[in-house]
Amino acid sequence: MQNPSAVLYSPGTVKIEDRPIPTIQDPHDVLVRIAFVGVCGSDVHFWKHGGINGKVPPPTGLIMGHEASGTIHEIGGEVTSVKVGERVAIEPGIPCRRCKVCKDGKYNLCKGMQFAAAPGELPGTLARFFRVPEDFVYRVPESVSLEEAVFVEPMSVAVHAVKMVDIRPGETVVVMGSGTIGLLCAAVAKQFGAHRVMLVDILDSKLEFARKYLGCETFKPGMVSAEENAEGLLKQLGVDGVDTVIEASGAAPSIETGIYILRPGGKYVQTGLGRPKIEFPIVTLSEKELLVRGCFRYGSGDYELATSLLTRGIIDVKPLISSITSFGDTSQAWDKTMRGEGIKNLIRGVQD
Amino acid sequence: MSFCLCLPLKSFRSQKAEYLKVSESKSAEKKATMTQKGENPSFVLEKQGKVSYEDRPIPEFKSPYDVLVKPRWTGICGSDVHYWVHGRIGPFVVESPMVLGHESAGIVTKIGDKVTSLKVGDEVAMEPGVPCRRCVRCKEGKYNLCADMAFAATPPYDGTLARYYSLPEDYCYKLPKGMSMEEGALIEPTAVAVHITRQAAIKPGDSVVVFGAGPVGLLCCAVAKAYGAKKIVTVDINEERVQFALKYAATTSFISQRVSAEENGANLIKDADLGLGADVIIDATGAEPCIQTAIHALRLGGTYVQGGMGKPDITFPIMTMCTKELNIKGSFRYGAGDYQTAVDLVAGGRISVKELITGKVSFDDAESAFTDVKAGKGIKILIEGPKDDAPSRGHLKRKSESLT
Repeated sequence: MQNPSAVLYSPGTVKIEDRPIPTIQDPHDVLVRIAFVGVCGSDVHFWKHGGINGKVPPPTGLIMGHEASGTIHEIGGEVTSVKVGERVAIEPGIPCRRCKVCKDGKYNLCKGMQFAAAPGELPGTLARFFRVPEDFVYRVPESVSLEEAVFVEPMSVAVHAVKMVDIRPGETVVVMGSGTIGLLCAAVAKQFGAHRVMLVDILDSKLEFARKYLGCETFKPGMVSAEENAEGLLKQLGVDGVDTVIEASGAAPSIETGIYILRPGGKYVQTGLGRPKIEFPIVTLSEKELLVRGCFRYGSGDYELATSLLTRGIIDVKPLISSITSFGDTSQAWDKTMRGEGIKNLIRGVQD
Repeated sequence: MSFCLCLPLKSFRSQKAEYLKVSESKSAEKKATMTQKGENPSFVLEKQGKVSYEDRPIPEFKSPYDVLVKPRWTGICGSDVHYWVHGRIGPFVVESPMVLGHESAGIVTKIGDKVTSLKVGDEVAMEPGVPCRRCVRCKEGKYNLCADMAFAATPPYDGTLARYYSLPEDYCYKLPKGMSMEEGALIEPTAVAVHITRQAAIKPGDSVVVFGAGPVGLLCCAVAKAYGAKKIVTVDINEERVQFALKYAATTSFISQRVSAEENGANLIKDADLGLGADVIIDATGAEPCIQTAIHALRLGGTYVQGGMGKPDITFPIMTMCTKELNIKGSFRYGAGDYQTAVDLVAGGRISVKELITGKVSFDDAESAFTDVKAGKGIKILIEGPKDDAPSRGHLKRKSESLT
């Protein structure tokens, strides 16, 4: 096959098929030979439920994958920032560049966003080749493996969340949810000067990993009310309220607890995605004059910073790599993640 | 509200010509050959000090999102005159003949295949600078700072004083019903004023001083008012300009004196009743004494924005900036949202631009407009686009040709 691609048809049905090799159409485009692809909760959602928010694979199937790294295979006539053979992390969402929000610097909110593996948008990165504009690939040095380079994507999510909630040196920050995103949010929060960072999860194994990986404080909520959990957490921290909460689980009880642990004037960012509608302590929000922000993917400057944190060795992502599965066995990587095995499971790109 | 002023501008009317009528050029000593009969007659700066008319190829679309516009009215600004007089501004040198003009409004005459927001016949204000859309500055929302910005009438890019001009649809802003094309040509300097005001973060209740009562200074006063400034002080050395500014948008005035900057600043605070000093000062002159005075007229913690351009290097009261903990910013052209805000401010009647138009000349008389602006006559002089030609002959001509 010229361009083997992992194509999802319906829950539980994925086929490796040959698809046309993408061609350079815009002189600023590059073609990347995919090296590794990471598995994200959203992939698992498609694999298990067949879609997200009503968006499902078309009858022709959906090429999956969006967290990826690779090497430059071909460059368009006006490409100046990368050369063939260079090793890159890929930013998989291309905005229109022409609308109001794009020009206002918030391209992640572009209505015409073309995102890899989103139905109706771009094909995914689980293929031999992926086409992308040159300003959406980020070079990594030899000192960073292409396995690690996959992590620039989730790291960018974390960078975006931390920037949205404006963490400053000296703050006490609590991150709800100790999955890949939660761990990276905590690591990035530290980079932004957070004085104390605490990770919250319901699984002991995740908390143990967090303590080892980041050396941060942890808290395990009990089967009690959110108010009681909040009280317990604050007691453990020895503070009346925390400055910032990053909610990286999407779970309703966790959202509630997050609001209760904040000090008056505190800040909260919703990174995790769970149930679309939940019950929210809105009066607490008012009384404490909290700042609550949404957060979606990554925008201007996020990939640059994430790449830099990796390149300078400031955040080590090697401990987060739990397994590498061959391209042909892609669905096994999805199954592993679905079962909660490991932190980040990678898929190796198509081999020659 | 006294935004819309109907007073005739007697003080700016020249004794010789009646500016408010489109003038036919009858002067025997016309320097430029006139032609409005080619395919795309264009008013060109050949080199420093010399303008002429050329028939240029009609611009082609660079992308399916482009539109072709017929500029109807074009205003000129100090930068246009500077290119004419000096042949360059800083590193931008006119190395080959360049079409002039960048403050325009026109009519859409052709649309690209993927254009959805405009149709032929739409009247639009034209934002004359298109960035690359791909660099860090563009993607962070500061496209006015794009290093590869293609700006009309900044070498090597041609301007809008031609029959046709092409630009992307998202750089055209439909004029609402009731807004004239002449007002549309004022949107560009209004957007400059909007950008300066946003850089200054003017908010309701602020006291604002604007140095310079030229078009940009006047528009800064008007926009500051629209943004809720409670006191707007206009400063100039020209009494006539200051009087106009008071009628137009300013609440107080001050004539700058030839005294030390500290004294001038102290007098400004006292005479304009600025209490502890102004919250915000905008400089729309670029003149060193104004900049120095401004620093001395701000309150502790105040904000200063440099809009005007004059000498590249000046003597600056940096110690005062430090001890007053001033917030000092540059301002360059306009960025995301500024053009639309400018249109909305005019359309909504929050600011009025009609009274800034003190002269209109025909395309054939374009050079006279440059001469007048250079001499400091009037506020904003508009140049009409070339008159519509008879159907094109199909080949390009340099000289004028009879079409009977």
